[in-house]
Amino acid sequence: MAEIIGGVGTSHVPSIGIAIDKGLTETPDWKPFFDGYIPGKQWMADKKPDIAVVVFNDHGNTFFLDRVPTFAVGVAESYKPVDEGWGPRAVPDFQGATDLSWHFVDKLVENHFDPLVCREIEVDHGLQVPMELFFGRPEDWPVKVVPIWVNTIQYPIPTPQRCWEMGKVLREAIESFPTDEKVVVMGTGGLSHQLQGSRAGFLNREADEAWLDGIANDFEKYRDMSREDYVEQFGSEGAELIMWLVMRAAMNPKVELKHRHYYAPASMTGAGMVVLENA
Amino acid sequence: MTGSAIPETPLYDRQGSIRGYKLNKMAMSLGRPENREAFKADEEAFLDSYGLSAEEKAAVMSRNWHDMVALGGNLFFILKIAAIDPAVMTEIGAAQAQMDHADFLKQRLGKE
Repeated sequence: MAEIIGGVGTSHVPSIGIAIDKGLTETPDWKPFFDGYIPGKQWMADKKPDIAVVVFNDHGNTFFLDRVPTFAVGVAESYKPVDEGWGPRAVPDFQGATDLSWHFVDKLVENHFDPLVCREIEVDHGLQVPMELFFGRPEDWPVKVVPIWVNTIQYPIPTPQRCWEMGKVLREAIESFPTDEKVVVMGTGGLSHQLQGSRAGFLNREADEAWLDGIANDFEKYRDMSREDYVEQFGSEGAELIMWLVMRAAMNPKVELKHRHYYAPASMTGAGMVVLENA
Repeated sequence: MTGSAIPETPLYDRQGSIRGYKLNKMAMSLGRPENREAFKADEEAFLDSYGLSAEEKAAVMSRNWHDMVALGGNLFFILKIAAIDPAVMTEIGAAQAQMDHADFLKQRLGKE
């Protein structure tokens, strides 16, 4: 059966991608941010996963308000980067782990989730940036992907508890998938930021640091928090952190925190990552 | 969950989505190069083709990032306007907070 070799939580701020595109990674503003990802990148290179499951939200690039899926799963053979207004970024297409995607869809529906199933769809920076942070800019990505979209744009967004339940189904799907492939699960988004309303520019470094410490082995409080709690602590857009819960729930109750990094602000956002392995 | 009890934090709920639908739809269309060209060629005509109100048009044409959001624009859609007519994210953020950009960087983001 397929195996989960680890879980990653990471930011997916679009300006990270722009910094890479413009060659700004060594500038004083960005170097400390990118340097902190070196151990995570090395971990990924050592672990050599075959498949990355990437949990992220679209940012009004692929989905418009005419149809807003609460959860969507990609089952495509490949995914192109979407045009976010500047033209598509020059990152390679992402090959889909089609069979695992379909198997996950089966498991979701058996477990009373009702996802939108996407056969032809493009991906925005929410998936691109985490891949670049952990795999760099290869000519071809060394992994196939299973994209999972979570609506965090238009309310009602799903509850943190629902994200948690989905993570448990994800684990069941991976561990019942009849190959010997190695899978990394990436929960993305956050950390604290708010882009709209007069509280825009809200950052909560303390809450971010506590999250990065606690998501490993003190996760219960985050699993049990309300959406309002997320918005209050992490800002209206910082509520994206609920997507890390999908990853965390796919791991053992006890995990080892292998790597951790925090930097703020990246553009207007608290940014960072954790790398977890099952203990 | 609608609205928000947290001060100064509007959530993008059904009221915003309904109110800002045309504005957001216009902005979403800028993800296609031919629409960006049409926007650049004759902005007002382009906005009219999406049925924007006079107030919405004024907000877009003056790049008033605060008013666009107040009219139901969602930042993720209207950012495509900033891709055509470049504005940096922190300037758009400062406009949301109705603060001077330098003050915003210092007071909100802790940047000197």
